[in-house]
Amino acid sequence: MEEKEKEKLSDIAKHVREIILTMIYEAQSGHPGGSLSVADIMTVLYFKQLQIDPKNPKWNERDRFVLSKGHACPAWYSCLQLRGFFDEKHIHTFRRMDSILQGHPDMNKTPGVDMTTGSLGMGAAAAVGMALEAKLEGSPRRVYTVVGDGELNEGVIWEVMQSSVKFKLDNFCMIVDRNGLQLDGPTNAVMPIHDLTQIIEGFGWYVQEIDGHSIQEIDKACSNAKQKKGIPSCIIANTVKGKGVSCMENQLKWHGRAPSTEEYNQAVREIRNGGCRCIH
Amino acid sequence: MYTLEKAKEPTRKAFGIRLKEYGAIDSDFVVFEADIGASTSSILFGNEFPKRYFNMGIAELGMTDAAAGMAAGGRTVFVSSYGIFLSTRALEAIRTCICYPNLNVKFMGSHGGLTAAIDGVTHQATEDIANICTLPNMKMAVPCDTNSARKLFDLAIHTAGPFYVRLLRDAYYEIYDEGTEFSLGGSHVLREGKDITIGTYGDMVFQALAAAKRLAEQGIEAEVIDFYSIKPFDYARLVASIQKTGKLFVIENHQRRNGLGYEIADYLITNRYYILYKHIGLADTFAESGRYQEILGKYHLDGSAIEEEVKKMIDTCR
Ligand SMILES: Cc1ncc(C[n+]2csc(CCOP(=O)(O)OP(=O)(O)O)c2C)c(N)n1
Ligand SMILES: [Mg+2]
Repeated sequence: MEEKEKEKLSDIAKHVREIILTMIYEAQSGHPGGSLSVADIMTVLYFKQLQIDPKNPKWNERDRFVLSKGHACPAWYSCLQLRGFFDEKHIHTFRRMDSILQGHPDMNKTPGVDMTTGSLGMGAAAAVGMALEAKLEGSPRRVYTVVGDGELNEGVIWEVMQSSVKFKLDNFCMIVDRNGLQLDGPTNAVMPIHDLTQIIEGFGWYVQEIDGHSIQEIDKACSNAKQKKGIPSCIIANTVKGKGVSCMENQLKWHGRAPSTEEYNQAVREIRNGGCRCIH
Repeated sequence: MYTLEKAKEPTRKAFGIRLKEYGAIDSDFVVFEADIGASTSSILFGNEFPKRYFNMGIAELGMTDAAAGMAAGGRTVFVSSYGIFLSTRALEAIRTCICYPNLNVKFMGSHGGLTAAIDGVTHQATEDIANICTLPNMKMAVPCDTNSARKLFDLAIHTAGPFYVRLLRDAYYEIYDEGTEFSLGGSHVLREGKDITIGTYGDMVFQALAAAKRLAEQGIEAEVIDFYSIKPFDYARLVASIQKTGKLFVIENHQRRNGLGYEIADYLITNRYYILYKHIGLADTFAESGRYQEILGKYHLDGSAIEEEVKKMIDTCR
């Protein structure tokens, strides 16, 4: 990837982060930690990798995307808005009555949302169905899903691990947002998984482990996945929960909590300047 | 009669506090949680009694089956999660591995009804009464405030077999004093009236009381009953009240279909109480995200809706 493109995508990711915070701040409700950790991944998908048409959100040959960790939808909505799927004014209606931007993704309300999610585990399994359908139709379209590392606790995820291999879903790419935290604590404490890479490889997947905040690594891994024939791909993206806002980084309490006015202003300043430290 | 003070904590927290307190009184029971202990409040118990607290991760189905295994030897197990996940994803485990063998598993299902309004449909347990109460051997209760949550904890742990307590996300009002007793199959008349009976439970108790107050200002005396014991149900109280008022209005923060109102209607017809009857709840629809009170208004489940519907009923008799 050229330096110029990398810079462009980094700038977009900053913008995505700012919109995430604005939505959660204005709604005074939502999940900043997991939205910020997935922001770079979503940016690369929506501004580089996905074959989509904002003017025609239901274009049949589009790539499909399912945010299985649906609570991080502010990141999804930000990308969709910046890509032009809907007007900016909706950003300010997040989680409000009559909004097209529900507290968790709703495929019938939000243009560009391909699957309703919010109950962890289910989105990834639905994505398998989308990949099967693409195969059935002989379509080259691809299916991407992002799951949380806590979400991996759900049994249905391991059903996905099996079926995707059985049906040779090389059009399917699962990205794990491995930020090391879930709701009640560190993933290692709540439900430890030893050597995730080896385990998923053991199921028969093509696994790549990357820095989930490196625009280049995310892009490269998605491209590699496309080349792999006959087996599904998993990208284990090592991320930081709350990435980009220092006082939210790696802090459990920012899983599902809205910032105060002061915290919001400070966070936005930090994102814009790219690095000033929080006072507390 | 009752007092109405702003509640300091939601029933999910009050229940969690009692769970923790009781942990010291009874050293035998254990608690299973699915990674939302900080939200359901089960963590209060977990911090105090780590050896008796099993955080099974985000795995509601497996957790519930594990609870069945733990309870198979006769031990009492509490299972904590959001009502939506217990009453849907874990439903088969509850049915086949807990209710069928009649095991001592108690469920704390938080975010009942539209009290999770802001999170949206995926987190709103609006079919839990239907799914859970349909199961043989299961009992169900819904506290509306701190003292009822505490007392219904005690009732659950002292009642043999599966027991589901529907808890609420947000803090509303305090109604009951510490001395009020709660029993299996019991209910409380919160306001006496001769013109119409309003039967309800949970957060709808407050909406009903607000409506009853406004109705009284218009000369309509509604009797408001908190049917906190959904199953078994206090039919004796219901009958005594409708024999006085001749009219029954049931409101619930749940799907209308297969909710408590369906159960009551079946009872009334079967036992030939041909009275004026109206039942409101979610009208065969999913709701949406939004602020609790706004969403109740939009889906015609708030105090104003009750007031309007009751007036219509009274008018048809004039
Ligand atoms: C089936 C289900 N159980 C529980 C929840 C509540 N919940 C929402 S987010 C979350 C933690 C998720 O952790 P992780 O997957 O690691 O997400 P991230 O860290 O990226 O936010 C939980 C338990 C849910 N949404 N769905
Ligand atoms: Mg995580």
